Amino acid sequence: CQKELEKINRNPNESETVQPDYLLTNGIKTNVDTYWGNDAAFETSLLYVQYWAKIQYTDPDRYIPAATSIQTVWNNFYAQGVEDFTTLAALGDSLNNPNYKAVAIIMRSWIFQVLTDLYGDVPYKQTADIEKYLTPQYDNQRDIYLGLLAELKTAAGLINTSADGIAGDILLRGDLLKWKKFANSLRLRIALRIADQEFDAAKAVFDEIGADNSNLIASNDENVKLNYLASPNQNPVAKNRETRNDYRISKSVVDKLNALNDPRLTIYAAMPRDTNKIIGVTNGLPTDSASRLGFNKTSDVGAVFTAASAPAVLFSYAELLFIKAEAAQRGLLAGEDAATLYAAAVTASLKQYGVSDAAVATYLLQPSVVYNAANYKQSIGDQKWLALFGDGLAGFAEWRRLDYPKLPAAYTGVLGGKSPLRLTYPSSEQALNGVNYKAAVAHQGADQLITRLWFDKE
Amino acid sequence: QETRVSGVVTSRSDAQRVPGVVVTVKGTNRGTQTDADGKFSIAAGPTDTLRFSFIGYTTVEQVAGNGKALNVALESAESKLNEVVVTALGISREKRSLGYAVQELKSKDIAEARESNLVNALAGKIAGVTVTNSQGNLGSSRIIIRGETSIAGNNQPLFIIDGIPVDNSQLGIGTGRDFANAIADVNPDDIESLNVLKGPNAAALYGSRASAGVLVIKTKTGRGAKGLGITVNSSASVESLLVLPSFQNVYGQGSGGQFSYVDGKGGGLNDGVDESWGPKMDGRLIPQFFSNGEAVPFVPHPNNVKDFYETGSTFNNGVSVAGSNDKLDYRFSFNNTKQSGILPNTGITRNSFAVNTTYRIAPKLTLSTYANYVKAEADNLPGVDGRRGNSVTLQFIWFGRQVDTRLLRNYKNPDGTDFNWNHSYYSNPYWIQNENTVGQQRNRFFGNARLSYEITDWLSANLRVGTDTYNDRRKYKVAYYTNGTPYGSYTEDAYAVTETNTEFTLNAKKKLNTDFSVDGLIGGNIRNNQYENNYQQAPRLAVKGVYTLNNSRDPLISTNYFSRLRVYSTFASAQVGFRDYAFLNLTARNDWSSTLPAGNNSYFYPSVNASVVLSDALHIQSRVLSQLKIRGGWAQVGKDTDPYQLVNTYPFGQPFDNNPLLTVNDKFLKKDLKPEITKATEVGLEASFFDNRIRTDVTYYSSSSYNQILLADVSATTGNLKKLLNAGKINNHGVEVTLGVTPVSTASGFRWDVNLNYAKNISKVVELDKEGFLNDYVLGSSGNMQVLASKGKRYGALYGKAYKRDDQGRILVNASGAPVIDDNKKVLGYYTPKWTGSINNAFSFKGFSLSFLIDTRQGGSIWSGTNYTGIYTGVLAASLPGRDEEHGGLPYYYAGNNQQSKPVQLENHTAAAPNGETVYHDGIIFNGVTADGKQNDAILPAQRYYKAVYSSSLNESSVYSASFIKLREVKLGYALPQELAHRWGLQDVNITVTARNLWYIDKKVPNIDPETAFNTGNGQGLETLQIPTVRSLGLNLKVSF
Repeated sequence: CQKELEKINRNPNESETVQPDYLLTNGIKTNVDTYWGNDAAFETSLLYVQYWAKIQYTDPDRYIPAATSIQTVWNNFYAQGVEDFTTLAALGDSLNNPNYKAVAIIMRSWIFQVLTDLYGDVPYKQTADIEKYLTPQYDNQRDIYLGLLAELKTAAGLINTSADGIAGDILLRGDLLKWKKFANSLRLRIALRIADQEFDAAKAVFDEIGADNSNLIASNDENVKLNYLASPNQNPVAKNRETRNDYRISKSVVDKLNALNDPRLTIYAAMPRDTNKIIGVTNGLPTDSASRLGFNKTSDVGAVFTAASAPAVLFSYAELLFIKAEAAQRGLLAGEDAATLYAAAVTASLKQYGVSDAAVATYLLQPSVVYNAANYKQSIGDQKWLALFGDGLAGFAEWRRLDYPKLPAAYTGVLGGKSPLRLTYPSSEQALNGVNYKAAVAHQGADQLITRLWFDKE
Repeated sequence: QETRVSGVVTSRSDAQRVPGVVVTVKGTNRGTQTDADGKFSIAAGPTDTLRFSFIGYTTVEQVAGNGKALNVALESAESKLNEVVVTALGISREKRSLGYAVQELKSKDIAEARESNLVNALAGKIAGVTVTNSQGNLGSSRIIIRGETSIAGNNQPLFIIDGIPVDNSQLGIGTGRDFANAIADVNPDDIESLNVLKGPNAAALYGSRASAGVLVIKTKTGRGAKGLGITVNSSASVESLLVLPSFQNVYGQGSGGQFSYVDGKGGGLNDGVDESWGPKMDGRLIPQFFSNGEAVPFVPHPNNVKDFYETGSTFNNGVSVAGSNDKLDYRFSFNNTKQSGILPNTGITRNSFAVNTTYRIAPKLTLSTYANYVKAEADNLPGVDGRRGNSVTLQFIWFGRQVDTRLLRNYKNPDGTDFNWNHSYYSNPYWIQNENTVGQQRNRFFGNARLSYEITDWLSANLRVGTDTYNDRRKYKVAYYTNGTPYGSYTEDAYAVTETNTEFTLNAKKKLNTDFSVDGLIGGNIRNNQYENNYQQAPRLAVKGVYTLNNSRDPLISTNYFSRLRVYSTFASAQVGFRDYAFLNLTARNDWSSTLPAGNNSYFYPSVNASVVLSDALHIQSRVLSQLKIRGGWAQVGKDTDPYQLVNTYPFGQPFDNNPLLTVNDKFLKKDLKPEITKATEVGLEASFFDNRIRTDVTYYSSSSYNQILLADVSATTGNLKKLLNAGKINNHGVEVTLGVTPVSTASGFRWDVNLNYAKNISKVVELDKEGFLNDYVLGSSGNMQVLASKGKRYGALYGKAYKRDDQGRILVNASGAPVIDDNKKVLGYYTPKWTGSINNAFSFKGFSLSFLIDTRQGGSIWSGTNYTGIYTGVLAASLPGRDEEHGGLPYYYAGNNQQSKPVQLENHTAAAPNGETVYHDGIIFNGVTADGKQNDAILPAQRYYKAVYSSSLNESSVYSASFIKLREVKLGYALPQELAHRWGLQDVNITVTARNLWYIDKKVPNIDPETAFNTGNGQGLETLQIPTVRSLGLNLKVSF
């Protein structure tokens, strides 16, 4: 009788065990979807950093983000990202496959880096352990970045190309060396992120791995990106464009590309249906003025971004070169020339979008493009901003750190002429993790969009 | 020796002869019934006791005597303690013996209300019962008895029909259609009586599912059938809108006063905007959606929304055939209900067949069966929530007030696309109604078979097997070219639900001596539930107009879910009576549920209650005090959970590039779950005065439910979104009063009855998790607005964004004069009412009867999506104040005509701006103070004012009191005099005119019905652009042959 009752209560609908490869595929797919999708990108970061602008429902572009957007980013990155990869790391241990564990830690570190870039102090050490911590404490952003540097070092060290491989890797096709390069490149990204506050810690990372190009992303072929497929696994931007018509390329980016005679203009922006001139839309217009511009007279972003199979890029060769250029400039990386690296970075970006060698050469010669060591922040800031176009979260973090390009606040923004410097915490945290939430706010400052984060030193 | 005893049975109140009275010889299985003239004849010995029983009358026992005619007059049992009521497990008990409150509705009350959803017929008629109305006339209704006792679980009562649980689920909540709750399948004409067991004290024997109360329904049998036994019932009713929002008819579509149509999606001047902040509808010439670019008069169509709704109708035709002889009672019924909704092209048809038989196989052996087959079919049901593919109510609240909806009736262009006023967000509402349909087909069987054997004259054995099983298939079509879904889609959603119960009882009833009697039972039950859902969707159709799952561009999206649960139970109950005035009732039950882990899956719950009829015990009956009874009891019930809540599992995702996907579940389950426990006490008093002219029943109850099984929201940073907890505690206590008064009752037959119900329930959420980490449990939400069970507070808190206020409670404004929103959300009200009440006046004279029922709900709040959205979009009349000089707007200008600068107020409307700037007349100043405490004087243009105050990021402005007083029901009936009916060869002829939901005598929330249901879940108090409720007016004719 007792046995019978237990048998009846066996769940026939879902698996009681999990395979690492299936979990890995899911972890990559769902988190890249979040990273590249509606809530973390279209409705927030892509607008704040003025890559995109809204032409309908303009509130988010006026710095009134929807509560659901903020909630979704948080929920997805923690409950699908951190949780799945923590489980995968544990599986790597129990299956004696250190490579799964390494990949899990790398992906989780990438997610934490994005989370802290966006929110500042967030729960880190006590996460994904619900039986122990029902209300995880928030960690300081400094501790998170330093923790991630250590974790990524461990992960890179765990990778063993002669041990059992991994399956289900839709990001880097099971190429373990590429994972190692991704881990090391992430370490450099984080090291530079903290360089304004923790110069020595940053330098230690560059000293250790900055010079060894064989263990870093070394060409556009090694860009870390998810290649999307046809529906229903299409790029989130493509999925959005199938049914909606809310977004345009920002006027800020069009103006900059025009000013630089940038060959990426016709790649980044699409031609409007009714005109043969690329026209961007000012960020933060009221709904009525925005719609008055005409949906068919303004430019969407280019097909490179709106195609079903368009990739989502998590780390590009160009970004790595920009990192190294700045590190060289700032004395973090010895023995390399900032100007050379800068030119290589700009070249890598143009090549990433298929610009011809001749056009690249012409472009690099322009005085407005030539590296200016006296104001490296502007040179690198402007070009890195253009190189990261489409990657709202990365662009948003770099723009805050470098303070270039100088972007005007949204036209009818609601932040008193200021621009967002972070995302607010989701309102669920007030109800569900109230004590720790209050402590975090007390430490970091008011829970507002304009509160400056630790890494973003004034 | 036995002789034949014969006589006539009459009703004492009107001296009419009563047919169908069951006459039995006590202690034997011999029995007969009175014929159409109230006559009976039965073989009996002179010392035998004859028992005369008939529903609605007090049972009478008389010694057969020496063979003379035995004439018996039956006392109407109405409001008397001698009344027999059906209690838990179908046990009939005299009301005097019960230690808890019980309220009953008779067939007449239910059938004449002619509600298509049985639940609605209870509204306002039973103290402590709260019914939340259906949307439109086809949707679901929610019923709650004595407040919510489960924080997260189902709080609706269990429905029992002839001893067998019958499902009342609302499957597919959140799929965009409001499917009726399952009990709507029951044909009201088949119901003999409906008893409300209000809580654990009354319902403890039902165990697991008793904590929310039980509705015990007894169906009509063939017993007592008169004449040919044929009854025909026919009714028709019309349903029209009860509350339609009040729209403004001054300004049309657009923004900033400007509008011109080109393509309806931003090609023209604000023609993609779905708001009415456009030009004045004063006949000025503007290109519009129907004018092919030509400028035509821009004029209002005040009834454009009303025109869209249709008059709903319900036709109900039923016939029943009943008969009875010494071997067999039978009743067969057929009912056809055909409803059309208030939205175009919506409706449902329901056919039900029922057979009820009692076959006396042998002297001591009886077989009773009840079988009911229901087939419900709907080609299209109305959409409810704010989805573009579904809901037309959304479109009318985001609307251009100038739109003439009559022009939209031809909704298709020659190329197959839709013709509409807007193409940014909407498809033509007629397109939605006619092309994007949701069909439903439900086949349901419920019934039982019961075998009874009388072992001795005091002991009987009963075996009952019952089942409720149904298939429910829904088909969702979204047409090609629908806005937002260019390729359309097709979905099939199928459910199969079954519950079976097998129950065995041994019943004993014995008078021990002149003082003591015992009535008890022991038994066991096995319950099996099975649930299956198969969902498949073709997300984008390959070919237009063909709705099959094969016609898909993409891989199908499919999910299925299968679950089973089993509960073994044993139970016992005993009633000890002393001199027929004092009674002690004991019950005990133990359940073993498959949903709980070994070790925790057996749970026991007892109950005890007692009653004393003081007026009999102390012989204090007098002219003034007719009867007095006190009662009290204590009960404990346990509750299991849903299947599969113990072991964490990994759900599947849609494969990517041939790689399967598995993820960690959002929910963290609990291995060592314990059952939920509810403990309840109840005391009461029943009294009647002046020959029962005044009757009252007062109850106080309190309950505490703990170890609640909660799937609580947790911070996502735990890695999960929900965690199953076993800790919540909620307390409820309250008072119920019923008062019946008969102010007038004359010899000529005129009678006036007044019945009052009053109930007050106070709830408090005591605990959510053992460690005290959690303060809130989310019951439901809409945008920023949440409905919470918050620790230390009343159940059902409306929690949302509020105005930021200073120390004195004044609202703060920012530099531009708009209110500041507080960073922290606040409790803005509670959806649970403070008290409910009703008053029914009934007049009868000869064959005429007239009654009207008024009910009220006081206290409690509702957040209204219609109000905030409709003001935000400028479509409601409430957005008119301040929009121009005529409506009290203030004059202002922008310095240098720079609209980004701060508006400067002018002294009066005729004053000119200093440098000849444009003067506007739609200024409003928000009543608030600046950060330094000064009264706000910054002027806002009306559009910006209303958008700042009524927005999704400020909930406080759209929370209203949900209190109301409603004229719920008016009935006028006429029964043809029996003499006349008999002359025409008929038994009874009844005509009733019924009006339901007639009129709001008072309500606080504008533009909506405060009773509107969100769905049948616990997240109530949110009105999210639901379909308006209806008033209905109907005629019912009942003829018996």
